[in-house]
Amino acid sequence: MEISGSEALWRALLNEGVEMVFGYPGGAIMPVYDALYDFADDIKHVLVRHEQGAVHAAQGYARVQGRAGVCMATSGPGATNLVTGIADAMLDSVPLVCITGQVSADLLGTDAFQETDVIGITIPITKWNYQVTTAAEIPEIIAKAFYIAQRGRPGPVVVDITKNAQLEMLDFEPVSIQGIKNFDPNPSLNIEYVEQAVEAIKESDRPMILCGHGVLISQCESEVIDLAERADIPIACTLHGLSAIPSGHSKYVGMLGMHGNYGPNLLTNESDLLIAIGMRFDDRVTGKLDKYGIKAKVIHIDIDAAEIDKNVAATIPINADAKTALQAMLSLVEKAERPEWFARFAECAEKEFSTVIDAETNPTEGGIRMAEVISRVSELTGGEAILVADVGQHQMMSARYYKFKYSNSWITSGGLGTMGFALPASLGAKAGAPERKVVTVIGDGCFQMTIQELGTIAQQNLAVKIIILNNNYLGMVRQWQELFFEKRYSFVELENPDFVKISEGFGVEAERVSTRDGLMTSLKRMLDSDGPYVLEIVCEKEENVFPMVPSGASVSDIRLE
Amino acid sequence: MERLYTISAYTENHPGVLHRLTATLTRRKINIESLTVSETEHRGISRFTIVVRTTPSLISKIVKQIDRIIEVVHAFVSEDNDLIFREIGLIRVAADDKNKRPEIEELAHRHGAVVTYATDSSLIVEKTGEEDDINSLFLLLEPYGIREFIRSGRIALRKSSETRELGSPSGKGEDIGAATVDFQQR
Repeated sequence: MEISGSEALWRALLNEGVEMVFGYPGGAIMPVYDALYDFADDIKHVLVRHEQGAVHAAQGYARVQGRAGVCMATSGPGATNLVTGIADAMLDSVPLVCITGQVSADLLGTDAFQETDVIGITIPITKWNYQVTTAAEIPEIIAKAFYIAQRGRPGPVVVDITKNAQLEMLDFEPVSIQGIKNFDPNPSLNIEYVEQAVEAIKESDRPMILCGHGVLISQCESEVIDLAERADIPIACTLHGLSAIPSGHSKYVGMLGMHGNYGPNLLTNESDLLIAIGMRFDDRVTGKLDKYGIKAKVIHIDIDAAEIDKNVAATIPINADAKTALQAMLSLVEKAERPEWFARFAECAEKEFSTVIDAETNPTEGGIRMAEVISRVSELTGGEAILVADVGQHQMMSARYYKFKYSNSWITSGGLGTMGFALPASLGAKAGAPERKVVTVIGDGCFQMTIQELGTIAQQNLAVKIIILNNNYLGMVRQWQELFFEKRYSFVELENPDFVKISEGFGVEAERVSTRDGLMTSLKRMLDSDGPYVLEIVCEKEENVFPMVPSGASVSDIRLE
Repeated sequence: MERLYTISAYTENHPGVLHRLTATLTRRKINIESLTVSETEHRGISRFTIVVRTTPSLISKIVKQIDRIIEVVHAFVSEDNDLIFREIGLIRVAADDKNKRPEIEELAHRHGAVVTYATDSSLIVEKTGEEDDINSLFLLLEPYGIREFIRSGRIALRKSSETRELGSPSGKGEDIGAATVDFQQR
C-alpha cells in the first residue's frame, strides 16, 4: 500500500501503541500535521503553548505510563525549544521519542529557513538520534526509536524527519523490532557477584539499601521490600526513588541527599554495606565523595555499566536489571535481625522531628510554611495523589513531607533541576493517569517559566491541582545566599503578577490564601473541584530547608539548623 | 598521573558517530592526540583508533561511556606495550641543492623511509613507524630544511586478543558477529 511518509509516521506510532502526542506544528512538520487530521480518532494530540511544554508533558506522561512519551515540534526554533526537556530526560532516564520536522534534504546545510542542526545539537543529550531523509526509512526508524528509548536504561531519542521524507510515498509495512544489533538492553547477570552480595549482606551489621529511580523503572519495588524485610535492612530513597517504598513502611528510613533526612545521610558513614539499587551516586546524594560511605563496602546494581564505578567504586558490581538481580539475591539471602541498627535510625528520626519537622509542619505563628502545606496536602489526599514538584525549596519540601502510599507517584526534575518543569509535566501526568489525583507544587519563580501551559491545561480541561507556594523569592538561591554568601541577596526577589487573575484569564479557577486559618478550607476546595485549579499560597518569606548537607561537605556533616 | 591510552572502537558506519564518540571526550575536556577512522574487514563496521592522554581512573569511565553508545559495537582501551601501532609521516625536505639529494635519499633509506616524490626544489620523504621513529627522522632531516611535515593518526592492533580490556562491560560485544570475531585466529 503506497502512503506518504507522514501517514507512515502515524501508522508507525500507532504500531508502537502510542495513544497521545504532545506537540506544536510549524512549517517543516506541516505534512505530518496534515496527515494527523485523518488520525485524530486514533491518536490524541495535545496542543501545547511552547515546545518546552510538549517535552515536559511527554516526560510526565512517560513517568506515569512507564513507556515512552512522544512529543513533536517543527524544525529550527521548534526543535531547539525541546532541548531543555531532552537534556532533562537524559539525566533522569525518562523514555521519550521526540519527532522534529526538518527542512527538505536538498536544503540541508544551506542555512535554509528554520534549519538547525538538530542532530548535532542533541547528540550529547540523547540516548540515540537519527535524521530520516527518505520516507522508506520511517517505519523501521520509528520502531528502533521506541526500542532504544524504552529498553535498558531508558532515555530520550530524537528522530529528525526532513520535509521531503514526510511528503514522499512509500510502500508501508509495519515493522516490529525484537532486538537491535550492538545494543543489549538486558546485560546477563553474573551469579558470582550475586553470591558475593548475599554473603556481604550476611556479614554486614549495618547494611543500608539506597533505592533509586531504577527500582521504579524495573518495577522491583516488592523485591526491594522483600529483601529489606527478610534481611532486616533499612531502605533510604534517592529523590527519584521516592514513592517506590510507601513512606509509612517499617523499613523505610527516609530520603537521601542534600535536603534528605538526617538519619540516612548521617548513618551512611556508619554503614558497613551500601546496597545501591538503580541509583547513580549523584553529587547531591554523596556530598564530598572521599568522605562518603567511609566504612562501607558497596554493592552497586545498575543496568547501565557506565554508572558502575563512575562516582563511587563498587566492591561488588552487579551490571543487570534490578529486578533480575534482586530476584536472584532473594533466593539466597538469609533472614536476619538488626534492631540496634534500626534504633540508630529511630534516634536520628526523633532528633530530626524535634529539631526540624515538628516546627515546620505544625507551626502556630508566623506566615504559612511550605512544609505545613505539603503535610496538609498529604493528609487530605491520604498520600494517594501523584505529586509533581518543580525545582527549589518547594520541591525539597514536597519530597520531604508528602507521605506516599503508592509507587510511581512522584514526578520531578532531579538531575537537570529544570525550573518550569512541573506545570507541563503535571498536565502530561494527568493526561496519562486520568483516574488519579494529580497535585503539582510550584514556586512563584518556576511558575512563571512555563506559565503559558495553563492554556493547555484549560483547553484540555485537565484537572491538575496546582499549588503555588509564593514567597516572592527564588527561595533556594536566597537560602544559599543567606547561608553561604553573607545574606547578599543578589537578584532573587520577585515582584509577581496577580496569579489568581492570570489563572482566571486562562480560564482556570483560582484563589489565593495567606492565612493559616483559611489554608485547610482552600486546600479542600481545590482538591474537591472538578477541573483544574490554581491555589496560590502566600508563604513565609524567608524559610530555609533543613536538614542540609552543605555543598562540598560530607554527608555526615549534615546540618539540622 | 596522566598516561597515553589508545581507545579502539568498532562502530556502525553512520554520520554522527564521530561526533557522539568525541563528545564523551570533549565534555571532560580531554584533548585527542590522534584519531583515525576506517572501514574494517566487515562491511558497514568502522574502526576508530583514538589516542588520548588521561588518568587511569578516567579512561575506564570514558570507555564505558563510549561503549554504551548505540552505534558502538565494541570499545576497549590499550596501552602502548600491548599494541602494534604505526603512523605515517610525510616530510617535504628542501632540495634546491641537487648535490644534497643523494645524502637525503641515503639518510631516508637508512631509517627505513623512502623518497616518494621529487620536484625541482624538494623531496617528499615517507616514513612509517611509531611516533618516535618519525620524530627522529624529522630531526635528522631538519638541517636540510623542512618545508612541510604531516603525520597521520595512529593505527593500532592488539598484540594479543587476550589484552586486558578496560571498561568492556559484559553483555555488550557478545553475540554481535562481526566485531568480536577473534582476529588473531583468523
